Amino acid sequence: MTRGTRPRRRTAALALAFASVAVLLTACTAEEQTPGDPGKPVQTPGDPGEPVPGTLRVLASSELADMTTVWAQVERETGIKVRPTYTGTLDAVDLLAEGRAKGKFDALWLSSNDYLRLRPEAARQIVSETPVMSSPVAIGVKPGTVRELGWKPDDVTWSDIDEAVTGGKLTYGMTDPSRSNSGFSTLISVASGLSGAQSALTDADVEKATPKLKEFFKGQQLTSGSSGWLAQAYDRRGDVDALLNYESVLKARKDLTVIRPRDGVVTADYPLSSLASTGQEVRDDVRRLTEALRTPTIQRLITDSTMRRPVVASVAPAAGLDSGRRRELPFPGSRSVADGLLDAYDNELRRPSRTVYVLDTSGSMKGDRLDRLKTALTELTSEFRDREEVTLMPFGSEVKSVRTHVVRPEDPRAGLDGIRADTRRLSASGDTAIYTSLQEAYERLGAVDRDTFTSVVLMTDGENTAGAGPEDFDGFYARLTGHQRDIPVFPILFGDSDRAELEHIADLTGGRLFDARRGSLDGAFEEIRGYQ
Amino acid sequence: MPSASTLPGVRRIAGIVLAVLLLGGVVVAVVAGREEQDTGTATKTVRMVIGSEKAEFFADPDVVKALAAKGYTVKAETSGSWAMEGLDLKGYDVAFPSSQAPAAELAKKYGVKQTLTRPFYSPLVVVAHRNAAEVLAANGLATLDEHRGTLKMDAYLDAARDDRTWQQLRGAEKYGELTGTLYIASTDPETSNSGALYLAAASYVAAGGRVVASDADVARTAPLMRKLIGVQGAQQSSTDAAFRDFVSGAGNPLVLVYESQVAALLGDGQSPGDLVVLYPDTTVNSDHTVVPLTENGRALGELLGSDPRLRELAVRHGFRPQGAGTEFASAGADRGTYLNQRLSGVRQAPVPTSAVLHELARRARG
Repeated sequence: MTRGTRPRRRTAALALAFASVAVLLTACTAEEQTPGDPGKPVQTPGDPGEPVPGTLRVLASSELADMTTVWAQVERETGIKVRPTYTGTLDAVDLLAEGRAKGKFDALWLSSNDYLRLRPEAARQIVSETPVMSSPVAIGVKPGTVRELGWKPDDVTWSDIDEAVTGGKLTYGMTDPSRSNSGFSTLISVASGLSGAQSALTDADVEKATPKLKEFFKGQQLTSGSSGWLAQAYDRRGDVDALLNYESVLKARKDLTVIRPRDGVVTADYPLSSLASTGQEVRDDVRRLTEALRTPTIQRLITDSTMRRPVVASVAPAAGLDSGRRRELPFPGSRSVADGLLDAYDNELRRPSRTVYVLDTSGSMKGDRLDRLKTALTELTSEFRDREEVTLMPFGSEVKSVRTHVVRPEDPRAGLDGIRADTRRLSASGDTAIYTSLQEAYERLGAVDRDTFTSVVLMTDGENTAGAGPEDFDGFYARLTGHQRDIPVFPILFGDSDRAELEHIADLTGGRLFDARRGSLDGAFEEIRGYQ
Repeated sequence: MPSASTLPGVRRIAGIVLAVLLLGGVVVAVVAGREEQDTGTATKTVRMVIGSEKAEFFADPDVVKALAAKGYTVKAETSGSWAMEGLDLKGYDVAFPSSQAPAAELAKKYGVKQTLTRPFYSPLVVVAHRNAAEVLAANGLATLDEHRGTLKMDAYLDAARDDRTWQQLRGAEKYGELTGTLYIASTDPETSNSGALYLAAASYVAAGGRVVASDADVARTAPLMRKLIGVQGAQQSSTDAAFRDFVSGAGNPLVLVYESQVAALLGDGQSPGDLVVLYPDTTVNSDHTVVPLTENGRALGELLGSDPRLRELAVRHGFRPQGAGTEFASAGADRGTYLNQRLSGVRQAPVPTSAVLHELARRARG
């Protein structure tokens, strides 16, 4: 999440230090990475590149990755090319508020500008905004589960969903509210729906709803930094009943019964926004792009190819999008409420995460690489949430030490200081025993506690040179039982590490590969937060 | 009339707000007149700063042509109406905000003594889907006549004061979307003209048909204004976005927009769906007021109000030209069932001074 927007117990100074790296970490250019395509590694950081006439460098929500067909058509019609750089809403708002979009981006295209409006210094960077399409938050449930619950999709309310979850009859996955607009909108919808608030959420509403929300989020079995990986993890797990996401994402799957809760939803309206920092020619291109997107032909293409709803009255929603109206749940009117909710989600409501960091400190890490690792880890400590369990497992020819710290809500600093102290003590020596160390990480995590999000982060700068080999690890993994096989490994490409080797580990364990070779290690660690 | 001393700090706050808006680069060149336009006459270039809702009007090739025929090339840049006060308008011929209050401030600032012309105007209206409009009518909050109706502001403000929800209204239970607090969604009154004018109308009704002027008036009406705005949560920054969301079926059941937006939609031949236009029985007109800064500017302002072709084009864009003309009423028969052509039964609330309005907005946003 963005340190700048809602430092929790974090100091302002830390927040600022992080803000400077915030967006680029999550930014990835379309050519390199498609958030909707979980098969490809996440590149950090992305760079929007130099201005090219006729090409609009658009800072965009990752949910827009399904728009490539539409953009290609618009380019044929207008000659305007869209070059997206994907990011989370909160990071985008930070970037704008700090004036860092100037010269880098020609337009902004988020799922929604609601959060942006809560930050006047960011809102001022917007000259005009035009909603292009819309999609409400919904829950996609396995048809079998819908039958077992005896639900009539049109009549289901947030309370019904809550009842099913707390009764142990419904589990679900959703994206991380700090990383993905779909998760953020879901969180607002759930909190509004379950608090019984009749108008925009207030701090008091959130506080009142906290016990209920805690119960509700016990049902969350999957978290993800992107909708694409969430879907992949959902398929792999097979035992999760539902996904909370935008209607468009859920409809695209075709195997879920998509329910828009009867008592209200938050709708993303995808405003294409021009920026004050751009010149008249650029803004004119943005205007032309907007106009092209709102023609009936393109609106039809949008609704048919992305299952979002059109915003011009003359085009009907794609077949399968039910036209019944839903109440629009108001988005909080103040930053304190929105940030307070995100904060509560991270530190109180969601399951805590439990992570083993398997860190290569072999001889080749000596010098600059080790320094970068130490810096990245130290900075990461401001990201750890209350109740989180962090295990550092540095390795060379073998695992060198295993140190576990818990960020306790009553004294978070003690845990964080411990992590920082252990980080300082890291030293580089020995060979690279990737697989042996990974096996130890799994053994260390032991029986999986279903009340945590459990994962392994593997950072290595080279190939495996000691201990168990890849086949040994395959065999080890195959012998894992029960929920241990649900623990994903998130490998980070760094230095001279072997891409094929790490990709295989990610695929085998249901993780995802992160690429820090061209970007920063901090960026990769940061990006992985959305998956922990 | 309040002064800076009766409302301490208001001016300063407004000043800061404007300064910040300007730092953000609110002023944007959007419409460049066609300088190369071959008109056969020597053209006078008129530089204007206009409210954004008129950008499409001045960008319309037919408008460019009609102006050129009269010897004018217009270069228009958009700015929030309230932000114009903080601009350096040296070198401009006209400021053209979307309501009278900022125009009056500008006239004072630039020493413009003559009467300000208002070539066209547009009342604030509330758009609703049929279900919502019918429930309001069934509960005495509105009267309906086919695709249009009248919203009873007194009754509506009473409902707001009592935190009335849709569930408490008879007949709402038939429609799942009609739940939660009953409110009209507006734009942010601190930055947007229509949001501020909403408070002007509501505070006038709340004060028993008087313009809010003194500190005591502000103190009395502020809690209700706070309610009207507070329940909405995050607000749209422009009526344009709010209206587009409404058309797409998302958003609140009741949305405050300019009548010109609805008229322009109907004029485009677009299907309005089950749209109902509710005219508040007390509303405020958005008076597009010309503040002439030069002789050329003055002449252009007059032309906008008097030239039949330009008046006709203003109507095409949904505006009502000033005067007794029949252009608006006769434009498009289909518009008639949606629009209250003669504004019968609609009272105009006078707008408080800028200082008072800014203070109301500030307190309402809380």
